[in-house]
Amino acid sequence: MFDLVSRLSQYNNLMWSGSLETLYMVAMSLFFAIVLGIPLGVLTTITRSGHILPNKYLNFILDGIINIGRSIPFIILMVAVIPFTRMVVGTSIGTNAAVVPLSLAAIPFMGRVTDNAILEVDNGVIESAQSMGASPSQLVFKVLLPESLPAIILGLTLTAISLVSYSAMAGAIGGGGLGDIAIRYGYQRFQLLIMLETIVILVVMVQVIQRIGNLIADSFDHR
Amino acid sequence: MIRIESLTKVYKAAQGDIEAIKNLNLEVDDGEIFGIIGPSGAGKSTLIRMLNLLEKPTSGSININDINLTELSSVNLREARQKIGMIFQHFNLLSSRTVLRNVAFPLEIAGVSKKKRLKKAKELIDLVGLGDRENAYPAQLSGGQKQRVGIARALANDPDLLLSDEATSSLDPESTKSILELLARIREEMNLTIILITHEMGVIKDICDRVAVIEEGEIIEKGSVFDIFAEPKTPLTKKFISAVIDFNLPPGIVKHLKEERPGEMVRVSFVGEKTHQPYISYLVKHYSVDANILYGNIDEIQGVPFGTLILDLEGDLENVENSIAYLKSEGLNVEVLDNV
Ligand SMILES: Nc1ncnc2c1ncn2[C@@H]1O[C@H](COP(=O)(O)OP(=O)(O)OP(=O)(O)O)[C@@H](O)[C@H]1O
Ligand SMILES: [Mg+2]
Repeated sequence: MFDLVSRLSQYNNLMWSGSLETLYMVAMSLFFAIVLGIPLGVLTTITRSGHILPNKYLNFILDGIINIGRSIPFIILMVAVIPFTRMVVGTSIGTNAAVVPLSLAAIPFMGRVTDNAILEVDNGVIESAQSMGASPSQLVFKVLLPESLPAIILGLTLTAISLVSYSAMAGAIGGGGLGDIAIRYGYQRFQLLIMLETIVILVVMVQVIQRIGNLIADSFDHR
Repeated sequence: MIRIESLTKVYKAAQGDIEAIKNLNLEVDDGEIFGIIGPSGAGKSTLIRMLNLLEKPTSGSININDINLTELSSVNLREARQKIGMIFQHFNLLSSRTVLRNVAFPLEIAGVSKKKRLKKAKELIDLVGLGDRENAYPAQLSGGQKQRVGIARALANDPDLLLSDEATSSLDPESTKSILELLARIREEMNLTIILITHEMGVIKDICDRVAVIEEGEIIEKGSVFDIFAEPKTPLTKKFISAVIDFNLPPGIVKHLKEERPGEMVRVSFVGEKTHQPYISYLVKHYSVDANILYGNIDEIQGVPFGTLILDLEGDLENVENSIAYLKSEGLNVEVLDNV
């Protein structure tokens, strides 16, 4: 037993830096998912027919972007956008490079999650605000977003968890992080213990993210 | 004053167009509580939702204090809407906001400063009797309390007009009563015009001054609540009234009575001081008929006594007819019940 612990602890540095890299990739892509994905979702919902700013063409385009983004398997997306990644980051290897495909996957994902969350806002509540003379932007910022905040936070949690697993895939093409470690040590050099350890860390990470997400969502939920 | 002219609403549907409101005209006076009643699908919600343009009219105009809402730009319409409060069957409160912030919401939209809007909201919460619940969330309130919040919220911008779309339809009788009392009170205190729609004649009877009965998108009967109760003209109106004042006898009893004796069965309704007059005994003494009281009821509408009697008048035909004529000549409303 002590033997096992001491054998594991010799990789402590490696695991620590791997975990930080994974968290960095997840956090950065989550940031882009919030900044670009949430507006994408909001615009998609409000341009739907019967919603507050119906616009058939814009809705068709936005909904299309989300669907296309969501239908490309991440492993393919990752490879396909390499030229774009090089253009943006200057290289296709490393954590910063991995953030590009991760963000490209997270944005439409978060877009759809936001779209679904906002669609759940009761039409009667929207109408009551309209009857008070609310403008479209007041409707978005004072009604739609606050009313769907718990659902959006849960969606963000879901996105974060997907990003943890995508980031492990990004490791496979030299993205760094825990996935990278698992591939290099666990797969290529067949060091099973390292493989196991990365799995345990990933599982714990996902658990913690879900718990935190639930707690925050609950604190905003007064329904 | 509210003036609705040639208002029409056509919904385009796959199965064909639905004309929900048909060339409707209506005027509502300032300070009045005007009720609109009709069966399901009559177009009540469509009509009231057009009054603040939540629903866009297909044609016609809606004039509030001589401003034609249908011609306003969207910016001006938003401004006009601030002066039209609305309450809803399902309350439609913001679940993410406390009572206080819900009531302050319309003021926030109107750009009133935070200090002012919280002060106003607190006053209104007191007015509707929820003083101790200002920090509760809507989910923590009963239906009646939620509607009080809805009313306080609708009053926040000091509206001239309050629209009520079945505001009491999802409440129990007790809460309904207290909400109606509240509406009557704020009408007095704030000199508000209220237009309410309902499918319950009890609501009309309790607080409305005038009523319009609407069926298939058209007003089929209109008048003071008192006149409508005293002399309903259409079968639909009679049906609505009978839900509140049930003057219909079970058909079996009617048949039985009719078979047995010569004579007529009549329904007599009488109002005001007439409720104190001894008509029946006069009838019996002077027209040699027997008057058998099958049903009697006395109620109060807008503070005036209102009675209904169903009489079985026995005697030969001429006497019975003379006695009916007598009752009519005394200003009573008499209706011969042929085939009830
Ligand atoms: N958005 C819509 N699209 C198509 N038809 C509609 C729409 N809204 C209402 N209608 C139709 O218009 C007619 C009037 O509906 P409305 O909701 O105004 O009736 P209502 O009197 O309020 O009925 P209820 O008492 O059941 O609420 C109905 O035939 C209804 O099916
Ligand atoms: Mg309705």
